[in-house]
Amino acid sequence: MKGTLEVINEMQAEGVIGQYAIGGAVGATFYLEPSATLDIDIFVTLENPQGSSLVTLAPVYDYLRSRGFKTEKEHVIIEGWPVQFLPAAGALEEEALEQAVETEVEGVRTRVMTGEHLVAIALRTGRAKDFARILQFVESGILDAARLDSILKRHGLVEKWEQFEVKFLRGNE
Amino acid sequence: MNDWMRKVFESKRAARQQLRALSFSEKVKLLEKLRDRSLAIARSPLRVRQHQKI
Repeated sequence: MKGTLEVINEMQAEGVIGQYAIGGAVGATFYLEPSATLDIDIFVTLENPQGSSLVTLAPVYDYLRSRGFKTEKEHVIIEGWPVQFLPAAGALEEEALEQAVETEVEGVRTRVMTGEHLVAIALRTGRAKDFARILQFVESGILDAARLDSILKRHGLVEKWEQFEVKFLRGNE
Repeated sequence: MNDWMRKVFESKRAARQQLRALSFSEKVKLLEKLRDRSLAIARSPLRVRQHQKI
């Protein structure tokens, strides 16, 4: 993954992408025990093409293809890892990118979303594996409850959290 | 919950805590191993045969 992150940092240095942060299962691994995943989710800010209000990933794919990286469905295989680039399309993702944590993988600098933002995004995505990840976070005791609470309130996720609590947490009390 | 089960859960919790405490670089190496194994399992002829039955 070191090589993958080096390429992503080069993309940022060359202006292909703006700010970025690792999310998803790899992002969660920064805080939790590792669990099997097949790809890396990279949330990015992108410039809109001139005269357009639509964000497109085309420049990202074009750049990577020009460097010889292959695409597989929505992934680009970079140094052995399938990478999915996800534009920070909403306020939650934008905030998660702004507040991401700086870290390193084998000496290569990178950024990872905060645990609270990873939980909020997983809650909104709402697949079974997302709920399992939230439970891992809750069980680990590493979440800042006040911070999570304010994120959930800011992004209209309080009701979803209450439903999650009823379904997965209150039965354990 | 009996004593034996309690010990099992405690041991699992301790193992998970140890893994959590590793550096991100060390965890990423484990992720890579887990991924390689998941892909090997997915490619296994037994798995493919099972999948074809479904």
